[in-house]
Amino acid sequence: MIEKIKEVVKKLFKEDKIDIFIGYGEGTLPLRTTPCFITGPDNIEKLVWNSYCFNNLAVYLPRFFLPQLQKKDLKFPRIGILAKGCDGRSIVGLIKEHQIPRENLYIIGINCSGMIDIEKVQNAVYKMQEVEIVSAKEKSGKVLVENEDNKKVELKKEELLAEVCKNCQYTAPLIYDVLIGEEKRKTKEKERAAFIKEFEKKPLEERWKYFQEQVSKCIRCYACRQACPNCYCKECFADQTRPKWIGATENISDIMFFQIGRILHQAGRCVDCGACVRACPMGIDLRIFTYKLIEDVKEFFGYEAGISLEEAPPLATFKPDDKQEFITEP
Amino acid sequence: MENAKLKIIKKKDVLKFLDSLKKEYDIFVPIEKNGDIRFSKFNSEKDIPWNYRNTKIPPKEIFFPQTETLFSFEAGTSTLSNGSMTFTPIDESKSSAPGNKNYLIFGIRPCDAQAFSLLDKLFGGDDFQDPYYLEKRKQAIIISLACNKPQITCFCTSLKGKPDNEEGADIILFDLGENILTKPITKKGEEFIENLDSWFKEAKKSDVDKKNELMDLSLKKICSGVNLQNIKEKLDEAFDISFWNEIHQKCLGCGICTYLCPTCYCFDITDEIDHVAGGLAPSRGKRIRCWDSCMFPLFTLHASGHNPRLTYKERMRQRIMHKFNYCPENFKEIFCVGCGRCIRNCPVNLDLREVLVSLMSLGSLCKDKKI
Repeated sequence: MIEKIKEVVKKLFKEDKIDIFIGYGEGTLPLRTTPCFITGPDNIEKLVWNSYCFNNLAVYLPRFFLPQLQKKDLKFPRIGILAKGCDGRSIVGLIKEHQIPRENLYIIGINCSGMIDIEKVQNAVYKMQEVEIVSAKEKSGKVLVENEDNKKVELKKEELLAEVCKNCQYTAPLIYDVLIGEEKRKTKEKERAAFIKEFEKKPLEERWKYFQEQVSKCIRCYACRQACPNCYCKECFADQTRPKWIGATENISDIMFFQIGRILHQAGRCVDCGACVRACPMGIDLRIFTYKLIEDVKEFFGYEAGISLEEAPPLATFKPDDKQEFITEP
Repeated sequence: MENAKLKIIKKKDVLKFLDSLKKEYDIFVPIEKNGDIRFSKFNSEKDIPWNYRNTKIPPKEIFFPQTETLFSFEAGTSTLSNGSMTFTPIDESKSSAPGNKNYLIFGIRPCDAQAFSLLDKLFGGDDFQDPYYLEKRKQAIIISLACNKPQITCFCTSLKGKPDNEEGADIILFDLGENILTKPITKKGEEFIENLDSWFKEAKKSDVDKKNELMDLSLKKICSGVNLQNIKEKLDEAFDISFWNEIHQKCLGCGICTYLCPTCYCFDITDEIDHVAGGLAPSRGKRIRCWDSCMFPLFTLHASGHNPRLTYKERMRQRIMHKFNYCPENFKEIFCVGCGRCIRNCPVNLDLREVLVSLMSLGSLCKDKKI
């Protein structure tokens, strides 16, 4: 697949169709890649494609199309981007919210077979911090990790998949200019939502306790917000000082306010890419809260984010028969 | 310090040893919690995770907590003039400064101990003294634990460090397996061990040999490094070079690298005010300081709305310049100890070592194309 990617990118530069390409490059650590910005055909060899390409690259797009840049009469760049299914859904959302112009994008869609969760690799073989993984090699569904004492362990990729990649509904983007690999649409909606249904069954007190437990780990680094393509606000409510909505401390009430605010702002917009969960250095289970919103929006408005460019987002439309129980009867 | 001062304590006695010091000291040790290791108050139920590599959150939080109350205040009862309120500071002892107990920090890694000696230069420098930091720091005993197994992100050897670096610690420990070898570094550390002599016995030559062997091995395991010779001088010329135009591109602008850095010390000061029920006038509150990060736009946002560090580029440049140019200028020290936390935890694998390598590999900067 990587050869195909390079070929397409090379052609795009040759035919002068893009100014910048955003893909993945070799990481400096095992089980990692790093977002890679390419500005010409010379650096294409840097590109890689493997099971560690977990960053959602759509997060970088709004930066190139800020209104203040337009005012300066600068021409917006034409950007090529490698998009997995989830990245593609984020791109749809950003286009719909008028943050990025479709005509300036060249989307190379890729059929993704899921990304590996580093923590799972670490926990699969070794107890925390006891052993350092120094290298990892991937070959036909297997991952060979090597520790500092040159011990090698072979693991199955499917057992290491990130939770968010399990039962993926959209492995390839729904809009693209070229698609690499064949899209295999899966309909495992129920399996995907099973964890939230399980959680919903728990008594209120228990759910509340879990929420408190999870958010109390927060150190207010805002990595969840910064990694999220949807969080493009010029000024976040958490940063505003006039009025000041939220205290600056890591006191539980401040953290809860921030997390609830951030999560609720994702209603009808979150595509469940898992970028926030992966970015969080403290391992907060953020997805259980964002996924609940996804389920609610589906149930109340029959809407799923990032699927179509035409359908109006639930927060931007009103229908007389919209359900309102969730406001009056929480 | 000559070998005569090296002592041995049995690993299985360490919990009891610390327990016996509980009355006299506020003891902080690495403790496993929520799948992570963090410095927390000593609890004799929880064993020391001797094999731990390092904590995610650096122990700077002990002397420089993420949130610290500087003082609290209450609306003056008698002074209401021209519609403005007068605030009177109340009970300053209620700030988060410790009581009578001294702090004992047990088992921090040598890089983090070195970081304390850097933070001391800032918080306890000639220009001004920070009472909140110093009150906790001054009397504290720092007992570091040499690294038998460094991580792949460690590059302390590029920054005056090594697995058994002594700077910033009063005593350094070596994990020999069943025994812990202790080596006093400062006068304070020496006295500490002398006063608790009954817990220790003399180290044998075989213990010392084992320690040396472990340290040689450990040093060899630190395989990444950057030659930072003259980086300050290099950066003197580097403020407006084109290098910065691309290096920041993948940065997400979160605060992980700065919050998890053992030497980042920037903070913001705000007032938290309680309002009397139903009233608009503030009645009481407290002034607090919280960690802040140069990677956030709010960090430099002026009241006018102008922001001198408007984009990721200026903010990334600030982070590098501050650590590797401004601090050497102000404190004669690079404010990085090579602990690798920013590398390990960066969500986009923006590796500081790589940034430094490409910076150092730039030729004569005067010839480099300016922006």
